[in-house]
Amino acid sequence: MIETQGLGKIYGRGLYALRGLNLTIDKGEFVFLTGPSGAGKSTLLRLLLLQETPTEGEVIVAGRNLSRLSRHEVQAYRRTVGFVFQDFKLIPTKTVFENVSFALRVLGTAVEQQRRRTYQVLKWVGLQHRLNSFPEELSGGEQQRVAIARALVNEPQLVLADEPTGNLDPDLSLEIMNLFREINAGGTTVVVATHDRELIKWVGRRVVQLEHGQLAGLAEAPK
Amino acid sequence: MTALGYAFAEAWTSIRRAGRSAAVSIGTIAVAFITLGGFLMASVNVQRVLDRWLESAEVSVYLVDELPDEVRTALELHLRQQPIVAAVEFVSKEKALARFEADFPELQDVATAVPQNPFPAAFEVRLRPEEAGGPDVDELTAGLSGRDGVADVRYDRRWLTRLTNVVRTAQLAAAVIAGVLMLGAGFTVAAVVRLSLHARRGEIDIMQLVGAPFSYIRGPFIVEGLLLGGAGAIVAVAVVALAYTAAARWLGPDLAGFIGVAQLQFLGLREAVVMVGGGFGVGAAAGTVASRSAR
Repeated sequence: MIETQGLGKIYGRGLYALRGLNLTIDKGEFVFLTGPSGAGKSTLLRLLLLQETPTEGEVIVAGRNLSRLSRHEVQAYRRTVGFVFQDFKLIPTKTVFENVSFALRVLGTAVEQQRRRTYQVLKWVGLQHRLNSFPEELSGGEQQRVAIARALVNEPQLVLADEPTGNLDPDLSLEIMNLFREINAGGTTVVVATHDRELIKWVGRRVVQLEHGQLAGLAEAPK
Repeated sequence: MTALGYAFAEAWTSIRRAGRSAAVSIGTIAVAFITLGGFLMASVNVQRVLDRWLESAEVSVYLVDELPDEVRTALELHLRQQPIVAAVEFVSKEKALARFEADFPELQDVATAVPQNPFPAAFEVRLRPEEAGGPDVDELTAGLSGRDGVADVRYDRRWLTRLTNVVRTAQLAAAVIAGVLMLGAGFTVAAVVRLSLHARRGEIDIMQLVGAPFSYIRGPFIVEGLLLGGAGAIVAVAVVALAYTAAARWLGPDLAGFIGVAQLQFLGLREAVVMVGGGFGVGAAAGTVASRSAR
């Protein structure tokens, strides 16, 4: 599903955020990216989302070389990827329902289909009773569940999550991780960046350890 | 919902949210278009007056005193045979004096103070409107000047031509001023759209991340500019219409009597459509430029 070859990203005056990264993630796999702050986890996710372009090397996702996509192809590619961020990135002026259906709306999906799919996915994350609430009226855990619902509403092949439990307490973190496990159980490839070792142990999936922008180790976490 | 429907809905929400800054933007573009509309209306009316004067312009052929009848008759026949001539009227010395006394009763003493009638007899030659100002008229007047029995030839279109040139220069200057004002209005609209873009930066980032087509990302900002510009121009047409109504009511009769047309004329449909269309165009252009960073 994901393959990086000699992937590197340099910021400013030659500061490597990633360096010579060779990594393969299979389709349907659940992988944790871990490592200390500044290890390159978020940079790798930004490169996978094409928020940034690599300085060196290549990223291939589902057979597409991301460096060679045109602007319109980038948008088409992003429609196949769901994303979840630590700060939720919800639109404060839109309701829960609108935040989730927004992803379908801007793709020109039929209104009835938007409604049905949005309700379905919000029910799945347990927020069918908060459809008309605004983000500020929700707890952190609820906001993150809305963000997950938005990531899934397009039924993406790949879900990327950057510290999705960073702002949540341990119980809520486990709840969110359970959602990711369920997503993965449906065949979606899931890549989660976190430095929470307890969580990694609890979920028990493959771990990619990064340090100073380089691959420091690959491990199968104990269940 | 289509991209267009989405863009209009989002733009309308954004304008309502912007409130005062949107009103300032509409006001600025309205001022530019009121100036343009004022110039256009003045231009339309000045042009009407000029056209009317040009149409009624005639050649006056002044005759020498005591001209034998056969020479006068031959001259009149010559004039009537010209294809560019619509009508010929002979004004005798007596008729010319009577006209003067009727037009300027306060100067009657001047006319009677001289020992004999000072006014020459003349032919007043009305030209066909389509020929006025053409080369054939110059040829005719040149030919008449040297003809036996002709004292002088006056063609009053020449000063009208000069006046037309002056008016055209003024219209050009007005267009330049209106253009500069519209440019300023465009910058104001662009600033408001940029503010709106800044306020919705997070939303734009999310739209980019979900792979929204560019028409969805930039469309609302272009439409926002379009609506602001169009609203400004519509306000301007309304203000110019009010100003016209007031001017027609209070100044109309005097002004109409002075310039010689029945009444002042409001902007034609074409001018009004150009103004409103221009407003939409300037707004859309400003929105397009301002939203470039949203890609």
